[in-house]
Amino acid sequence: MLENIKENRIEYFILIVAVITFIILVYTFRFNKGVLILLSGLGAVLYIFWGIIHHYIRGKLTKNIVYEYSLFGLLSFLLFFVVLSF
Amino acid sequence: MKNYLQPKQEKEEPGVVKYWRKHPKSIEKYQFVYRFLPKDDKKKRADFLDNKAILIYCAIILFVTLVFRFIPKFAPGVLGYASNINVSDLLKYTNKKREENGASNLRLNAKLSSAAEKKAQDMFADGYWAHVAPDGKEPWDFIISEGYDYIYAGENLAKNFSTSKEVVEAWFNSPSHKSNLIGKNYDEVGFAVVNGVMDGYETTLVVQMFGRPRQPSMLADAKEEQVVLEKSQTKEITSVAGVTERTEVPANIPREEQSKPEDTTTVVIATNPQETKAVIDVTKATKTVSIAFGGFVGSLLAVDVLYSRKKGLRKFTGLTLAHITIIGMVIASIWFILKPGLVI
Repeated sequence: MLENIKENRIEYFILIVAVITFIILVYTFRFNKGVLILLSGLGAVLYIFWGIIHHYIRGKLTKNIVYEYSLFGLLSFLLFFVVLSF
Repeated sequence: MKNYLQPKQEKEEPGVVKYWRKHPKSIEKYQFVYRFLPKDDKKKRADFLDNKAILIYCAIILFVTLVFRFIPKFAPGVLGYASNINVSDLLKYTNKKREENGASNLRLNAKLSSAAEKKAQDMFADGYWAHVAPDGKEPWDFIISEGYDYIYAGENLAKNFSTSKEVVEAWFNSPSHKSNLIGKNYDEVGFAVVNGVMDGYETTLVVQMFGRPRQPSMLADAKEEQVVLEKSQTKEITSVAGVTERTEVPANIPREEQSKPEDTTTVVIATNPQETKAVIDVTKATKTVSIAFGGFVGSLLAVDVLYSRKKGLRKFTGLTLAHITIIGMVIASIWFILKPGLVI
């Protein structure tokens, strides 16, 4: 696990910064559902791009990897959406 | 069955059980637990984590969202927002915010409270959620009709919240509502907390009306405030069921000519009016669905990392730790930050 983090140090650093920023934004706009839905959509798209760029740089990008990140992005968005839409 | 798992060269061995005992790995893939574990031969994650499975989870979550949207159309009041909001707490938290921001405390006024109550009833009756009614009636009309002669007046609305504190916090976090909440032009306030069914969901509407009377002698005193507080704790509240969408009511037709929705019925709630409990609390239900799915996927990903490490498996997949980070972030945000409620 540690090797994996060390190997992808920069990517994980960017991801952690993005996650912390996202949590701060969600907290700031916690009473504005419209903004929260927008934020969760934007967060999901950024994550998909993060994954694709990471694998592209390392020459390991395949169709399956693109599907995988897209589906995890979609799942994350829907987990938010089901709560925010009520 | 006999030759189901046996390689050709061992066909002659007696008994499939004997064979399985000898080669436990050959039955591994037929065990249920195998679906939860990563596969070395295919260099893939567990079956329950492959792309098809994630797509199915997404479809189920979408389906649940649609079900929660459709239930209120067929069974109004089954889904709702549980709440425990009361006027004394609303007043307490409002004045606390005002004190923190250098504004004087507001006194509870009977006329403003009555205007707020009528506004809330009007919203349930005509099925709208706005400052201006479909018939063009404005907040000031409710205030004036109660005989409150004002220099300044304002209105804040909230719905679907669980507690009084959350309502005031939400108003404070919205710039336009905040300017009312801590506005120095106001001396008095009135609240209404009304339970009912709106758009098919059992909910609580909160109306807050601010004012400064034209004559200082009209200001409410401590005795009047106490009477309003006691009244708000004991009175019965009328709730209206079967409210339709706002767009169904013409905006420029006089109120007398508006046709009421056919399914509108009046129910008198004799219990504590500040508490409302629907059959299913939609906030809890959606949070549970979201956290359950997120938790399930997150746990499988954690198992994937640990099992792969233990067995030294290498897979051609995306970064599992990154997926765990994202799913963990979503669960934490839903659990700790997201709250129900809308303000206008």
